[in-house]
Formats: sequence, C-alpha cells, structure tokens
Amino acid sequence: MIGTTPATYAPEAVRKRLQGKRFDAKGFAFSACLLAALLITVTLLAVLLYDVINGGWSVLTSRPIEFLTGSLSSAAADAGIGQGLRGTFFIAVFVILVAFPIGIGAAIYLEEYAPSTRLTRLIDVNIRNLAGVPSVVYGLLGFAIFVKALGSFTGPDANGRTVISAGLTLAILVLPIVIITSAEAIRAVPDSLREAGFGVGATRWEVIRSHVLPYAGPGILTGTVLALARALGEAAPLILVGATTGFLSGGDSYNLASLQGRFTAMPMVIYNWTGRPQPGFETATAAAIVVLLAVVLVANATAILLRNRYEKRR
Amino acid sequence: MRHSAPAQGRLKAPSHLARLLAALLTAAACASPGGAGGLAGSIVISGSSTVEPISIAVAEKFHERHPVVDISVDGPGTGDGFELFCDGEIHISNASRPIRPAEIADCEDNDIQFIELKIAIDGIAVLTSPNNNAIGECLSFADLYSVVGPESRRFDRWSDANSLAAELGETHAAPFPDVALDVTGPGEESGTYDSFVEIVIEEIAAERGQPEQTRPDYQASADDNVVVQGVTGTDTSLGWVGYAFFKSNKSQLKAFEIVNEDGACVAATPSSLADGSYPISRPLFIYVHAEKVEDNEALSEFVDFYLSDEGIASVTEVGYVVLTPGELEATKDAWEARETGARDT
Repeated sequence: MIGTTPATYAPEAVRKRLQGKRFDAKGFAFSACLLAALLITVTLLAVLLYDVINGGWSVLTSRPIEFLTGSLSSAAADAGIGQGLRGTFFIAVFVILVAFPIGIGAAIYLEEYAPSTRLTRLIDVNIRNLAGVPSVVYGLLGFAIFVKALGSFTGPDANGRTVISAGLTLAILVLPIVIITSAEAIRAVPDSLREAGFGVGATRWEVIRSHVLPYAGPGILTGTVLALARALGEAAPLILVGATTGFLSGGDSYNLASLQGRFTAMPMVIYNWTGRPQPGFETATAAAIVVLLAVVLVANATAILLRNRYEKRR
Repeated sequence: MRHSAPAQGRLKAPSHLARLLAALLTAAACASPGGAGGLAGSIVISGSSTVEPISIAVAEKFHERHPVVDISVDGPGTGDGFELFCDGEIHISNASRPIRPAEIADCEDNDIQFIELKIAIDGIAVLTSPNNNAIGECLSFADLYSVVGPESRRFDRWSDANSLAAELGETHAAPFPDVALDVTGPGEESGTYDSFVEIVIEEIAAERGQPEQTRPDYQASADDNVVVQGVTGTDTSLGWVGYAFFKSNKSQLKAFEIVNEDGACVAATPSSLADGSYPISRPLFIYVHAEKVEDNEALSEFVDFYLSDEGIASVTEVGYVVLTPGELEATKDAWEARETGARDT
C-alpha cells in the first residue's frame, strides 16, 4: 500500500475532506432514519395518550371519586375501578415481596458466588429463555399450582381464585426479568472495585454489601421497577387464575383476610369493559386506562427518584 | 430539594418509609372484617354470557339489601359454566340451553344435584351491518344453512353459496349477489352457538347427512360484544347473537327477519319472541347447586329473590323476554319443591 500511494495523497485527501463541500448522503440518510424511528414512536405514543385521555376525560372530571372507588357494574354510569385498583395494589405488593428479594438474591448468587461451570451457564441461558415465555403459559402454571394444588391455602372459600394466586403467578412471571436485569447491573460493576475491597482484606459478603450492591443499585432498581410495571399490566394470566369481571361484592377491602376472597384487577377490568358495547363503557374504559397508566407512571417515577438519590450518594 | 445536603436526604429516607408503612397498617386496621348481623355467606355465579346481565342485575339489587353477602358473577360461556358447576366450584350456573346428558353425567360423577330453573326467553338475532343493502331483509333457514352450515366452508363471497342454496330449495333471499361474506359468531363453548345450530342448522344437516355444526372457518368469540364489533366491521357481514345484545346495539346493527314455519318473514321483537312466532328463540336457565342450597342460607335467599317480582323484573330491564305467567309459576313451583334433575329436554 505505502509503496503504491503517492506521498502527497494523504494530506491531499485530508484537505479535500476538510474543505470540500461534498454532501455526506449516507450519513444524512442514516440520521434521518434514526430520527424517523424516534418520531414514529413518539407519535404513536402521543396518539394513544391523546386518544385515551380524550376518551376518558369526561368520566375522570365528572365523577372522579366515584369512579376511583366504585365497584364493577352493569351500568356504565355507576361503574368504578375501586376493586380493580385494590387487586392491582395487592398484586404489586406480592411482586415486590416475592419476586424482588428472590430475583435479586438469585442474581447476586449467579454473578458473585456461582463458579462459572457448564451448569451455571445452562441455568443462565434457561433464565433468559424463561423471560421470553408468553405470559399465558405462566397463567397456566399459576392455575395448576396456586389455584388447583395450593387452593386450600390461597383461597379455601374461593377455590383458589384469589389475589394471592394472581400475585404469586405474576411474581413468578417477572422473576426471570428481575434476575436478568439485576445480573446485568451486577456484571457492570468494575472488577477493580471488588479487587480493591479484597485487597484491604474484606470478605466476599463485605465486598458485595459495601461495594457491589451500592454500585449496582440504580441498575437493579430500574430493572425491578420495569418488571413491576410489566406485572401490573398483564391480563392473560389473570384470565386463567380467574379474576371476576361481571359483578363482585366486597372485592374492595384492603383488610388482609379479604386476600382469600374473589378479586379483580385493573387489566381485567379494562379487558372486560373494552368488549362491552354500551356507549358509556367506551369512556369508562378510556378512563380506566388513564388511571392504570398513571399508576405505572408513578411506580416508574418513584424508581427514577430513588435511583437519582442513590446515584448522588454513590 | 436539589440543594438539600446529602446527610439530610439520608435521614429522610427511613422516615418516608415509616410513614408509608404506618399508612398501610392503618388502612389494613380500618377495614373491619364483615358487618354484624344480617345475612352472610358467599354466592358464586358463572356460565352463559347471555344470561350474565340478568344475574348481574339481580345480584346488584340483592347486594343493596344484603351488603355482607359476597357475590361474584362471570360469563365465560354455558359449557364452561357447567364444567365449573359440575366440579363443585360455583353455586349457580347460568345457561342459555338445557344441560346436556354428558354434563349431567359429569355432575353425577361428583355427586352434584342441580335444580333447573327456566327464567326467561331469548331470541337469536341474525345480524348484518346497517349498511348492508345487498342481501335483502329476510332470510330462511335454508339461506342461513347455505352460508354458515357445515357445507359452506371456504365460502368467502355470498355468491359462493348460490349452487348450494339452489340445491336446498326453500330459500328466500338466494341467489345472492357477489359481495364479501364475513361471518362472526359466538364460539362453540357458547350456548348461543348450540342453540343456533340446534334450531337453524340441525334439521337440514341431518337430512343431508352432514355433521350438526356450523362451518368451522368463521370468526368465533365467546364474548357477544366482540361479535357485535365483528358484524359492524364489514358492510355485507353476517353474524348472530342473543336478542338482548342486538337490542342494546340496535343503532349499529341490522337484524334480518327470519322466515318461520308458515312462510312469513318475522322480525325479532319482544312480542314475536314471547308468542313464539319468531323462529329462533330459546329458553334461558339458571342451574342451582341443590346441596349448597341446604347449607348456604344466602344462596337460597338469593334464588328466592331472583324469582320474586323485583328479581325477575331484571329480565326485561336487560332486554330479554319474560316467561308466560304459567311458565313462571312452574319455575317457582320447581324451586319451592327443590325439584332436582333436568325437566324438559
């Protein structure tokens, strides 16, 4: 190469690049494509948001309290989502109490303790695959285990079709996601941090507690909250667990004994109302979607606030 | 907030958590378990999505009087309802057709006795889009058989059915024009499907040695509302749903008149359903778990209320047709006597 190229070639080419007015068509096309991708996403989101907010606005402004605390009803004008919010609240509690500790614990073990053998790699690949299993399959699993096999524990008087079964099913559904995102966050911690800890004589536990977890914390938090949002929005597993959609009395109690009673949850309410032909339900459905979006948004915002606080402290 | 010292933030975090926890505990403590006195218990109702609105309306009224009784109502379909019922999971099974021998056998296997109560009459409306001017106003059973019967598989234009219709004779609207044929109907688990097959398809299918079913390639949904949406999707669509669903969506839909035994075109109206002149009508039932009636006071009270004047008024409120006084009396007698087993099949 060097032999065949004139000595003046390189500076010539550089000068041309710097001074030439040549239009960089490829580069422009690439950035235009990227911008278009972003615009399509944002537009779709904006249209969806506008549509549901526009549709649900009348309900949310004319009877906000009644709507947020009301019960399922055959009349659209009386229908409320109090019972749905209650079910979704308890599902969130179960996911936080069950999926988060188990998932983060498994991730720490996989990344920090488990030796890198063929078995651990196999487990790792399997967990990744589990995250892609359709939610309805988890619904079947939940139906077989929590509704049928453990029915006497999850809801003796409701044949296991309770918010306990639903919460545990959705906790299992998001468990692989929690493990994967937590493991990624832990893997991103530089080894030099760990080595520094070991270097001053810290034990493995001390290194994890004081170096790895604080550094991986924000990443773990982001992953877990995304998992929570996923769990709150799932409808398919709830159909199989047997959420009630027609009429439910007493399904809005936050009393712990009521956990063993029949339940409904926001995605089921939305799913069921979408199918109803009466005009009032169109607006009620839109309003319910807005509320569910707000709930998920609040969960995400909380995570971002917590993460920022963590990062500042780091 | 942004300028607050990190130390302050660290101190705040636990207090936030504590406050949240306190709020949760108060919420849990405030919700008192149940109320004192009055009727208590639980009633679980499932089954036909066609009967569901009646049971919901009755449940809502009942709930106002006895707020402590836990009631839940669902509508997955008549067949699914009987499956749950014969598993002993539910107290009342809504049904838009009588229980089948196989289902009776299922119940017997689990020692479940039922009380069959006829509560209302429903018609099946054969629907199309209000923009449909191509097909005419009235269809006969032979017309329907030629477009949705077992031999109509893969017909996606109305005109595809013409040779079959000619073979059948007794048609009213055929020959059909060459327009798109999109069929939407209730799924096979639905009582509406069974009744439609039994009333419209069965006789012609039996004569022609065909299986007693509709074409398999139609858009099926257990949710009657989805059927309504499907039918409004295409101008020359065809579908069928329970009469009440048609009635509450009259503005979006058009129902065909149906040729009855006397050769007259009859529209589905409350009076034509009640006097039986509209040919596609059927009884609606609730099946009550006989054993649970004995030891669940709330359940027997609920069925009493269901059959009372106020309860049975729900039938017309949600768009179905009430039984004749004689038939209602027979239902009440069967309930008073706790008569178990299938009565009329």
